[in-house]
Amino acid sequence: MSSVPAIEARGITRVFQSRKGFFYQDVTRTEALRGVDLTIETGEIFGLLGPNGAGKTTLTKILTTLLLPTSGTARVLGLDVTKDTERLRARIGLVLGGERGLYNRISARENLRYFADLYGIPLAEREKRVNEVLEWVGLTWAADRRTEEYSRGMKQKLHIARGILHRPEVLFLDEPTIGLDPKSARETRKLIRSLLGEGVTIFLTTHYMFEAEELCHRIGVLSRGRLAAIDTVAGLRELVGGDRTLEAEDYGFEDSELAAVRHLPGVSKVVSEEYGPVTRLTIRVRTGDLTIDTVRQSLIGHGGLQVRERRTSLEDVYLDLVEEEAR
Amino acid sequence: MATVSVPKAHWSGRRSTLASIRLAVLTFLADPQWLIPSMIAPIVFGFVSFELFLGTPDLVVYVILGAGMMSMWGQTLYGSGWATGQDRNIGTLEPTLSAPTPYVFVVLGRILWNVVSGLIGIVLVFVVVVVATGTVPSIDNPVAFVVLFVFTMLTLAAVGTVFAAAYVYTRYAGFIQNVGEFAFYIGTGCMFPIVILPFWTNPIALLFPPSWALDALRYASIPGYVGFSWGLGWDVVGGVATTAIYLLIAGIVFKRVERHVLEVGNLQEY
Repeated sequence: MSSVPAIEARGITRVFQSRKGFFYQDVTRTEALRGVDLTIETGEIFGLLGPNGAGKTTLTKILTTLLLPTSGTARVLGLDVTKDTERLRARIGLVLGGERGLYNRISARENLRYFADLYGIPLAEREKRVNEVLEWVGLTWAADRRTEEYSRGMKQKLHIARGILHRPEVLFLDEPTIGLDPKSARETRKLIRSLLGEGVTIFLTTHYMFEAEELCHRIGVLSRGRLAAIDTVAGLRELVGGDRTLEAEDYGFEDSELAAVRHLPGVSKVVSEEYGPVTRLTIRVRTGDLTIDTVRQSLIGHGGLQVRERRTSLEDVYLDLVEEEAR
Repeated sequence: MATVSVPKAHWSGRRSTLASIRLAVLTFLADPQWLIPSMIAPIVFGFVSFELFLGTPDLVVYVILGAGMMSMWGQTLYGSGWATGQDRNIGTLEPTLSAPTPYVFVVLGRILWNVVSGLIGIVLVFVVVVVATGTVPSIDNPVAFVVLFVFTMLTLAAVGTVFAAAYVYTRYAGFIQNVGEFAFYIGTGCMFPIVILPFWTNPIALLFPPSWALDALRYASIPGYVGFSWGLGWDVVGGVATTAIYLLIAGIVFKRVERHVLEVGNLQEY
């Protein structure tokens, strides 16, 4: 493993200004990133989660030299993202998802040839490399078809093919499976996972918890421009109170009952939510001592009480962190 | 995917420019709409020129130069800027800028192709006018004509590069270009010599390299042509000087514009 981190960001902030009005006199300032610190090691798949507008794409663009930070420093492969842009761009790949970003009137092969030339892939290697990535993403059969005839999933695969064409050391994937059908999304995840075997460091932004949980070594949760947490999935579960979650449901609970549950041994957190007439207590359990029966006993007198146990999901973790940040 | 060791990639301006030309040609061939600016518009311009210069000695040369240059200018201005605007629209501007090659080489390739494709227009006008009038034009100085013709193409490319920078800078560049397009047609002498316009327009016209080059081209091809009083030689000097300034401006502007769009973060706007 290299001694230089693949990605290192310190105190990154980014403020966007938009102007409105006939004379553009109304200036609105939006703080998209507020002091992000991040270190990602070589060979890691790092996932960045966050709600819409949290700053995921902004951070991705800063790290890929497509946007300048308002303040702070960022280095990718030891190169400054604001000063060593040309050298850095040759060593990183960017996959922006979606329908856009391709020359639709020409074939996938021609799209790739064009970008191979812009990346300076040796001419003698170009065709081999284009064929290689087309085969890798499973698009050889459609390589000479115009990309306007491609489905969303095929376009996404072509985006990935373009992103890895020049064999980047770090690959940035911005919501690579958004809008894909389940089969295409699964295939895309499979492709991403197999990149690890090639020694590529991957920076992935996504909305999908299971995707992050399935693919990533570590996950950062970005909320309102701030990294609310960064850890492994297990570490994040610990952070929000434990690996086990019990849920108790009935038609309302007294404050004293809530307090009693909170004081049960091993309970780290209790959240009460109303679902119409039903109240659900989500009980985060830090140790294995607490059982469903113990909860039932502390809520005795509730005839319709239902208690069940499940593993704390990444979604629980995510929602807890985002809500805490919002408070 | 096999992990074969390959030589480290290094971008080259020449290769990127050629790649850009190749992409422009492929896009041109794939899209029938290009028939309008490259083939139909020159013929329309030809008829307008014909009416405009009816009764003039060397009518045929005037018509070919007028309509042909209108077509080339349109192709260069429209094509170079429009292609960058298209990059914004279809979302290819970000992936292109994320490549190590400076974007100016991509623009240069497009402009060179657009200038060359503008030639299709001039050839077409030539054929139509010769068939319609039954006259094959005689060029006063064929060698000078060819040299100055190529030079005029370069002056058009220089202006096109500066315009393309505007498209990278803002999505509203198309609006500015549309407003200015006809002023450029007339003001740079594409359709007819600038000297026939009111004198106050001349200094403005001379800010643009094609104005000098087109005047020189008319001197070289039309016997007895009366253009700028300083004559062909100083036209060439002025054209070279303004082209050099434009290329210098384009180089500086592109660097600044690329930095600016990274600062404001408007690359994805369309």
